[in-house]
Amino acid sequence: MSLLEMRKGTIHFGGLVAVSEATFAIEKGDLFGLIGPNGAGKTTCFNMITGVYRPTSGSVYFKGKQITGTPPNRVAALGIARTFQNIRLFPALSVLENVVVGGFLRHRTGLASALIYLPSAIAETDRLRAEAMDLIRILDLEDVADVRSADLPYGKQRRLEIARAMATQPELLLLDEPAAGMNPQESEDLLRTVRRLRDDFGKTILLIEHDMRFVMNLCEKIFVLDHGEEIAFGPPEKIRNDPGVIQAYLGEAV
Amino acid sequence: MKFVLGRLLSIAAALGLCFAIDVFAHSQNDYTQRLVALAGLYVTLSVSLNLINGITGQFSIGHAAFYQVGAYCGGFLSVRFYDGSPVHGLLWLLVMMAAGAAAAAGAGLVVGLPSLRLRGDYLAIVTMGFGEIIRIIVQNVDAFGGPYGMNVQPKFLHIWLIWLLAVSCIAVCRNLVSSAHGLQFLAVREDEIAAGAMGVNVTRVKVTAFMLGSAFAGAAGALLAHFEGFITPATFAMDVSFIILTMVVLGGSGSITGSVISAAFLSYLPEYLRGLKGPEGGTLAVTGASVAAALFATIIAAGIIRRLLDQARGTPRSRALGVAGIVGATLIGKIVIQWGLLFIPYLRELKIEAGQLRMVIFAVTLIIVMLLRPQGMLAHHELSWAFIGKILGIKAPAKAVTPA
Repeated sequence: MSLLEMRKGTIHFGGLVAVSEATFAIEKGDLFGLIGPNGAGKTTCFNMITGVYRPTSGSVYFKGKQITGTPPNRVAALGIARTFQNIRLFPALSVLENVVVGGFLRHRTGLASALIYLPSAIAETDRLRAEAMDLIRILDLEDVADVRSADLPYGKQRRLEIARAMATQPELLLLDEPAAGMNPQESEDLLRTVRRLRDDFGKTILLIEHDMRFVMNLCEKIFVLDHGEEIAFGPPEKIRNDPGVIQAYLGEAV
Repeated sequence: MKFVLGRLLSIAAALGLCFAIDVFAHSQNDYTQRLVALAGLYVTLSVSLNLINGITGQFSIGHAAFYQVGAYCGGFLSVRFYDGSPVHGLLWLLVMMAAGAAAAAGAGLVVGLPSLRLRGDYLAIVTMGFGEIIRIIVQNVDAFGGPYGMNVQPKFLHIWLIWLLAVSCIAVCRNLVSSAHGLQFLAVREDEIAAGAMGVNVTRVKVTAFMLGSAFAGAAGALLAHFEGFITPATFAMDVSFIILTMVVLGGSGSITGSVISAAFLSYLPEYLRGLKGPEGGTLAVTGASVAAALFATIIAAGIIRRLLDQARGTPRSRALGVAGIVGATLIGKIVIQWGLLFIPYLRELKIEAGQLRMVIFAVTLIIVMLLRPQGMLAHHELSWAFIGKILGIKAPAKAVTPA
């Protein structure tokens, strides 16, 4: 049984077909890349999986259970977390607070006990903070834990998004262009971090990326979309030499 | 048992504070008593609106409606059922507060539901419309006395209870934002989509904020009805909603202490201005030209100071000197403008008593604060010991975070 299965996922926006019958399966422990030129429908695929959009037709299965159209917060609770292409942190909250929000899914006290500030609520908050702090260390954000997330440099904001998504303790992590806007050194560090998330923490990773060097070095399976349709699927070596992919990216040979 | 002891101490401190306010108020005349009571109610109202607007980010401008629902619910039940009820006195008042809170929370639920689909300006319009609907319905129901209002019996003059409600409201909001639960509310304010993707149940958070905020406003309404002994729909007109909103924005949206301070300040200011006297103790009368010149000069000066602060050039000291210079120039500017305006016969002849100017001064104060500090007095900060220390340059010991 695959961890995540997209079966003929199709989505129309009015007359525009954003994604057409995308079908792929992600196994546990995969480093799965989703690539394609701009407007190919990659982020739309993410939105279909995470419940932001409901597919026009087709379905999404997670651990064998249908999750098509499940609202985003329930999808997160099931074990799928994501980051966003155009970073969406909680700008006025500190780095630590951002990560605690991700961990809130695992809190065990009710609202009432928080409102009257019972010891159980305080202890729970402290526990979530401590857990968040561990993740912050893993993603090397320790020195900025108390900084407002809006004040962070770009590369750290990207890392914070990953930390926040990790805080939900997902089985499947969706990363939407994690290396966008990073310099070579930063993207090299990120590459190692993402690989560590899989190797040391057992996360399955699905990522969208435009930086080809990044994708080819990291991913073991790559799915290529163009104009909403699958044009290639396979290991990096195969994708690199695929004439269809080259054509989609570079246009017709002259 | 450190917790129980600490909690008992804080409750005792809160009660002590409320009774101190009560004793102080009752030693004053009726007018001051009423002022202290209304200030307490406004603190509750602005802190509870801050929960909806500032903390959860749902732009609601119809808070007086919940206040009204609570007042009429409590008032009506008292008129109908107080005679012959088994509970009397304070207990009855507490029951009325609970009833008012429950009714307002129900109304909060009704308004909270559209907020799931609406954002920003659109939600503001819905909440404003809701406020007017409630007021007009009440105005047309004979059982509530229609536009003439309703006498509420029995009357209670428990100012301590009014302030105890305010303190509880502050405590609840503060507890919320300092626990992990509150971070969900802040996350919804910051970015709904990201909050949803992190597993936050955005629907539940918004509705909870609306219900909790309106419940406090409703309890405040029930207290108002029994304190004044008389309520009319005009008590809850739209301008009350706007004053509450102004308190929240002026204090700094999202800051609980900011809401408290500006609620106290804004409920006191217009009353203080009512008693403006001339230098000899007589009624102060000024010419229209003088008033107009003062208005012009102040607002222009505030604008210039704003520009100066934005540029952030120079040392704090040189900037403070610059501001002082502008204030001086304003006084001269006022005299010059006034001299010019005296050529206009109407403004020369018009004599205005200072007391009549109170709402003008009130409005100008708001304009100046918003020009100089659009994020509100405290912005998103809280007036805590740590914050005071930060301003004074003392570093508070960092709270140790131990790994799990």
